[in-house]
Amino acid sequence: MFQLSTEAKQQVLNELKRYESKESAVLPALYIGQRENNGFINAEVIKALSNVMEIPESHINEVFTFYTMYNKQPIGKYHIQVCRTLSCMLNGAKELTSHLCKELNVKLNDVTGDGRFTVSEAECLGSCGTAPMMQINDRYYENLTPESAMNLLRGMK
Amino acid sequence: MSPTTLINCTINGVELSVKQGKTIIEAMTENAQRIAHYCWHPGLSIAGVCRLCMVEIEGNPRVQIACNTVVTEGMKINNTSQKVKDAVKWGLDFHLINHPLDCPICDQAGECGLQDQYMEYGKYNPEMAERKQKKNKVVDLGPTVVLDSERCILCSRCVRFTSEVTKTHELGIFSRGDHAEIGTHDGKPLDNKYSLNTVDICPVGALTSKDFRFKQRVWYLKDADTICNGCSTGCNTKVYFNKEGVFRVKPRPNMEVNGHWMCDEGRNTYKFVNKEVRQLKGQKFLNGAWQAEMHAGAAVKDAHLSLSQVSGDAIAVVLTGQHTVEEYEAIVSTFNDKFKTKNVFHWVNNKESFESFDGLLLRGDKNPNTRGLLEVLAKHGISSNWKQLEDGLKAGKITHLVVFGPENLPVFPDLQQNLNLFTTAKNLIYFTSAAISQLKSHTGSNQVTVIPLKSYVEKDGTFINFQGKAQKFKRATTIVSEALTGVEAAQLLAGAEIKIQPIAEKALFTSAHERIDQVTLEHRKKNEFVFNRGRL
Amino acid sequence: MQQNETKSNQQIGETKYLSEFYHLPEFKSIEGYKKNGGYADLVKALKMQPQQIIDEVKASGLRGRGGAGFSTGMKWGFLPKNDEPRYLLCNADEGEPGTFKDRMMMEKAPHQLIEGMIISGYAINSKKSYIYVRGEYDESINTLLVAIQEAYKAGYLGKNILGSGFDHDMDIYRGAGAYICGEETGMISSLEGLKGQPKLKPPFPAVQGYLRKPTIVNNVETLAVVKYVIRDGAAAYKKYGTEKSTGTKLFSLSGNVTKPGNFEVPLGYPLKDMIYSLGGGFKPGRKLKAVIPGGSSAPVLTAEEAEKATLDYECLAQMGTMLGSGAVIVIDDSACMVECLANLMHFYHHESCGQCTPCREGTGWLDKIVHSILAGKGRMQDIELLIKVADNMKGKTICALSDAAALPVLSFVTKFRDEFEYFVREGKSKVKGVAYVADHTH
Repeated sequence: MFQLSTEAKQQVLNELKRYESKESAVLPALYIGQRENNGFINAEVIKALSNVMEIPESHINEVFTFYTMYNKQPIGKYHIQVCRTLSCMLNGAKELTSHLCKELNVKLNDVTGDGRFTVSEAECLGSCGTAPMMQINDRYYENLTPESAMNLLRGMK
Repeated sequence: MSPTTLINCTINGVELSVKQGKTIIEAMTENAQRIAHYCWHPGLSIAGVCRLCMVEIEGNPRVQIACNTVVTEGMKINNTSQKVKDAVKWGLDFHLINHPLDCPICDQAGECGLQDQYMEYGKYNPEMAERKQKKNKVVDLGPTVVLDSERCILCSRCVRFTSEVTKTHELGIFSRGDHAEIGTHDGKPLDNKYSLNTVDICPVGALTSKDFRFKQRVWYLKDADTICNGCSTGCNTKVYFNKEGVFRVKPRPNMEVNGHWMCDEGRNTYKFVNKEVRQLKGQKFLNGAWQAEMHAGAAVKDAHLSLSQVSGDAIAVVLTGQHTVEEYEAIVSTFNDKFKTKNVFHWVNNKESFESFDGLLLRGDKNPNTRGLLEVLAKHGISSNWKQLEDGLKAGKITHLVVFGPENLPVFPDLQQNLNLFTTAKNLIYFTSAAISQLKSHTGSNQVTVIPLKSYVEKDGTFINFQGKAQKFKRATTIVSEALTGVEAAQLLAGAEIKIQPIAEKALFTSAHERIDQVTLEHRKKNEFVFNRGRL
Repeated sequence: MQQNETKSNQQIGETKYLSEFYHLPEFKSIEGYKKNGGYADLVKALKMQPQQIIDEVKASGLRGRGGAGFSTGMKWGFLPKNDEPRYLLCNADEGEPGTFKDRMMMEKAPHQLIEGMIISGYAINSKKSYIYVRGEYDESINTLLVAIQEAYKAGYLGKNILGSGFDHDMDIYRGAGAYICGEETGMISSLEGLKGQPKLKPPFPAVQGYLRKPTIVNNVETLAVVKYVIRDGAAAYKKYGTEKSTGTKLFSLSGNVTKPGNFEVPLGYPLKDMIYSLGGGFKPGRKLKAVIPGGSSAPVLTAEEAEKATLDYECLAQMGTMLGSGAVIVIDDSACMVECLANLMHFYHHESCGQCTPCREGTGWLDKIVHSILAGKGRMQDIELLIKVADNMKGKTICALSDAAALPVLSFVTKFRDEFEYFVREGKSKVKGVAYVADHTH
């Protein structure tokens, strides 16, 4: 059974007071829940948040399922999101994605056998002038080639 | 400006005055103008998402939704222009491209918003050739409701209902875009006392009632207006029935009583009117054994004879809050005037929770007409308490006891206990619409006569609800033809000869039954020969 | 004013007005910012009457830089004239494909935005503001959080700012991945902790916005410009740009050009100069085919049209497209237009919030049709159907996402019809000579 750590619970409580309305804390609280649960959210995380926040589970789940940055399934230690939208596509995003999947021997959205990587596609990440690009966890890596991207990943243990 | 200020507008060429603050859709539906809509519901907040209630407003180049546009002075509105028709036509097609069109196996067929509105406003040449969106089917949402997400058009009425009316928040719309689905979180059931209203307001067959699904095709059912007899709120309802009996109960809007809703408990009130659970004939317990069944009329005649032989002091009457004002009046005056007794007792079924109220509709007094009974008793100057009945029976002073028993047995937890009391009378005359299995095992040397009564859907009458509001209702159907109304019973007990008039059948369709969104004959004719079904 | 000076690291032809100091790493910190004129205009503004500031912004002709191009001063004027609490929200949910200027502004000059926001807050009498930043912009968020702390410490935020009696608090709100939150009421819903679904209008945010209180939502660039309108005055600001499109604007140039990036130019700047001189033109052997001039929702221009276009609201509107967020996506002749449209349709299908039926169903339908053409399975009537579906999605929904999905379809299919017909007829791309296996799941 998933439980929020004392520290995380306190963070959620702080978020509840941070904004003009308590409900505003749902998005930040989901980030906290996701971090606590190894990078993804499941029904138990939502239950735990609902208990602490006193906000209906269905409401939290609506928010959770609406936004793409909350992961619906387990992800690797490094979550690689390759931007797939037009400017990146024009500069080789498709080739980048398929190269990474092939080199890492993993299907899109799956986790590599060693648990290190998940490759997925993302819609426009706002880095069109430096296409193609990818986001690994919170960081952007820009002006990539399939080879340079793979070299970056090789350095990530 | 005061809230009653009137605003003048023209809708489809008709000049109207509507109350200030009314939206166009309210103005239209209140004035019998037809307008397509799914997400708008007068009892819920405005969602404005189905985009069907399009109207054209003079001076505005774009069509607008009628549900979120307030009528202003001099506004000229129409929903008959080609522009509006095209918008609605495509709006409907967008609703249908991912809809499974499984009408033949769908319970909603025949009363479906998609079917009805498509008949009138549809495009008729579907062009969708792509694969449809797959979603969850036969989702068990809880004890009462089943969901088919593929049929769902995401109007959000049910979600708004659980968040705005019951405030139980079970339902949500999860995911986004055309992946969005109605649901509950992690199997947490849709389980509240009003859950079946979600089925009523679902414009399509996405939410169906577990109780009703697969029981009947709706076009084999007639409906009639009545008043719920589940509790003292007196929700206005409709019962749906055919020759096989009554199949379901749905609410009718009445802003002064129940708004647009009713509780799930009230929907069960059809279950005790059907033949299987009814007292069908008269029957006597005599000389230690139940005798052969007899005609109700004969049984009540016998009762008249035996009552005529004793003085008023020896006679007592027990009434529940389950009968009509007219019945109380007939019964009380018969015993008061004819048999000269004031021994009339009120059987209160659930004393502890009698005054309780859930804040929405459900009241602890599980009788539709307690107030009516009390008013009739007061009018005849009768005040009695249960103790007097118990003492009278115990002392043998009361020998003849006439009981008009409840029809809704589950809300009478003290039934067995009181039957034990009643059967101590030397001569018990028990009128009941419900078959009372407990009486079958009766033993003793006294006499018991059971006589069938009509249920609430089988008679005209008046219930007075907790507010003191008298609500008249009409007979919906007849299920046990031999059963008597309380009025007939009283007259027969008094020795009157009455002739039971055969009751004329109601016409199947009357103009009063026509819904605003009902398909008219012309639309059916128009579309009879449309075979251009494409690949939809 | 030094905006016309040519610095060694400036590209020729840019007019660095807002971005004058973006090349200085120190501009990010409060000290560096103050050293280069930072917060001087807040001091100036606080000595003005709020109405004076609104009038000045109105007079400057400043139009919203987020996409809609609505007059900023006029928007502020919709606020009720009373003491009701009101909110200022900065829309930093930069999600329009092709746009990356706000990210640069937040990362390189966070204080510019903060100063612009405090001035704007003072002008509209708002005591609380939020910067809604898209969740993916981690660096922007961290930079802004530090900058806001610095501003509090320096007394530019909080109670009684610089002794003026004006109080203002500011905070960040992190989005979580939804393009629709860039729509102002979608953003308000998100800030309220809901799904980012746009709200019905009326009521408009200026009357009932965040928590049903009057709310002004402005783009990052718009709010930053306010500082400069106060600094130089409306008259000076209007010297840049054209009569109806005043000032400079940051353009995000991307796609097939060799030197993509953000460029600040006065409005009215020729699109072809943007492509060929600022953007460095194309790889050898390639040439211009099409340009999306204002973010992916803007109708596409053909090469011929692009040669004639200037980057201002009027010219682009006249050409049937729009300036939008200033994202110029350049497409050369190596690209297949069917593939490009399919890419965009996937985007809108993925991003439709799902509440309005025509958009929810229409975006999915368009996506499926284009992808079946792309897979070589298209039918000739699909081309007409694309147009019909898109046509009937326009102007039918709560927000503009439906239109944003429909407009590219209409322009791509009309202007590059031969590529679509070829694809249907031959079952493969006219440009690339192949069809595509379904590369995405519905």
